[in-house]
Amino acid sequence: MLAVDAKGLSKTYMGEAAPVTVFQNLDFEVEEAVLAAVMGPSGVGKSTLLHLLGGIDRPDSGRVEIFGQSLEELSPRERARFRNENIGFVFQFHHLLPEFTAEENVAFPHRIAGVPSGEARRLASELLDRVGLADRRSHLSRSLSGGEQQRVAIARALARRPRLLLADEPTGNLDAESARVVFDLLAELHYERRMTTVLVTHNPELAKRCDKIFAMSREGILPATGFPG
Amino acid sequence: MTFETSIALRYLAASRRRAHVALITTISILGLAVGVAALVISLSLLSGFQDRIRSQMAQRSPHVRVSPARGAVVPDPARVAQALSSLAGVVSVDPAIEGRGWASGRGVESTLPIRYRNAPAGELPASPDDAPPPARVSASVATRTRTGPGDLLTVTSSRTRLSPLGLIPVRVVVRVADVRRAGALEKAPDVELPEATARLLSGIASGARAYEARLANPSRAEIAARAVSLVLGPEYRVETWRELNAPLSFALRLEKAVIFATVALVIVVAALTIVSNIALTVVEKKRDLGVLTSLGATPGSLARIYLTLGALIGAIGTGLGIAIGVTASVLLDRYEVVSLPADVYLLTHVPFAVHAGEVALVGAFALLTAIAAAVLPARAAARLAAGEAIRLSR
Repeated sequence: MLAVDAKGLSKTYMGEAAPVTVFQNLDFEVEEAVLAAVMGPSGVGKSTLLHLLGGIDRPDSGRVEIFGQSLEELSPRERARFRNENIGFVFQFHHLLPEFTAEENVAFPHRIAGVPSGEARRLASELLDRVGLADRRSHLSRSLSGGEQQRVAIARALARRPRLLLADEPTGNLDAESARVVFDLLAELHYERRMTTVLVTHNPELAKRCDKIFAMSREGILPATGFPG
Repeated sequence: MTFETSIALRYLAASRRRAHVALITTISILGLAVGVAALVISLSLLSGFQDRIRSQMAQRSPHVRVSPARGAVVPDPARVAQALSSLAGVVSVDPAIEGRGWASGRGVESTLPIRYRNAPAGELPASPDDAPPPARVSASVATRTRTGPGDLLTVTSSRTRLSPLGLIPVRVVVRVADVRRAGALEKAPDVELPEATARLLSGIASGARAYEARLANPSRAEIAARAVSLVLGPEYRVETWRELNAPLSFALRLEKAVIFATVALVIVVAALTIVSNIALTVVEKKRDLGVLTSLGATPGSLARIYLTLGALIGAIGTGLGIAIGVTASVLLDRYEVVSLPADVYLLTHVPFAVHAGEVALVGAFALLTAIAAAVLPARAAARLAAGEAIRLSR
């Protein structure tokens, strides 16, 4: 079964001077339980692709189906609920809410789903334990190191046990050692939870460890040659 | 606590660390507090005066008045008097014998149109049978007829009687016993006379134009009026002291409404700073909104964060304003801070009366205004393109 099935995607942003077309008529498919890496030069629309797959941005044309559910057919409220239950996001710059502790940040997906505060914090605490940050749960996110922040962000993305994880250069802002720790964690959790993961990266070494690699260019996105998968 | 509330609370608490937001938040809260305090003090001042006027109104007016629905004289006086006397908490029942005429003082050529009526029993001093009957006149009548206590005053009725010389007006000479210094808003007769004199002038030998009852507790007048109305039926018009003074009561309410609307503008202006405060927070926290969207927050949830923030700022400003306004009003009244010249006014100081209902109304208005101020930026937050917010915040 296809976890991600995108057909004919086009996206244009309104630039300051003129409209900027990111990609046109793009097709992208990922099978269930696959750890997929997307590589390509800056500006080809890798992040935009992840935003469209996650439903936090809308394509100008084309359609996106996640586990057979067309995102276009959902109302904004239904799409939000679908995202909360099925999709996790990890961003390059962690994007934790700075006013909140690590535990509170990880508890947010549960709170959004309506889980009572105490239960949400208990679940968040367990997950922080799993990513090796049990002793940092009450630290404000801004007081953590870059690697720790990204591990908290991974815990937050996985809080609702999503079936699809979209990670946008999760190691792009980290030193080599932290990048390795974060990637190891992601890979471990991917196999442990049997998720589908789409990972955007510029790091060929990390990409090589993925099940499948896609090369993205202005012309489109295709399975890469010369790499496993 | 919902996650929207916890985020709004944290944003408010954390605004201390962002100097520009902290300044605008402080201005918003203080502006609202000043507006609320000004409104509470203004309404307390008005209530202070209006309570005095209403208490005089209740003191001087009959609390329940029964008059015939048709005709000038009560057709069954005994039944009406009995119905009123049997009311719970009734203090007195008096007939109303009233009419129109003219008054003139000694040595004053012109006559003055007046309304006269009988004074409630026992309110005028007794006088010997051969002496002119006593009368209580309003200050206006005393001035214009140049009479004072002890002077004689001629009261001529609009009624005439037949004499050997033909029709002549009914005329009575009375001695001014008292000059009433009435409030300007009071609806009182110009000349009050003993019942017998009023009957003579009006030609009502028995019965009355109406019967009036005074109650121990004027606030129960409506209940008493309904009871009397049920007993007497539709041939009688039953009015309470509030209905008898309806135009004045309306004027007092209108005055309060106008003051409310005018001073409330301060709150509206303060609310504009809340708009800018929350709009600034929306712009600053754009990335957070994008992230929350990626976690599954609905557009409605995002809007609720900022509506809650507006409500929190509103609640703090309103609470502060109510505390200042109520404290100031109570102190101004207790220590009689603003004094009045006693020879000009009936009061020695400006009274302030805090009414809980009015304070609640001011509080609700301020709070709703603050929340309404947050609606525009909250809607902007709900419409935010999450992907773009995250892309641009890199």
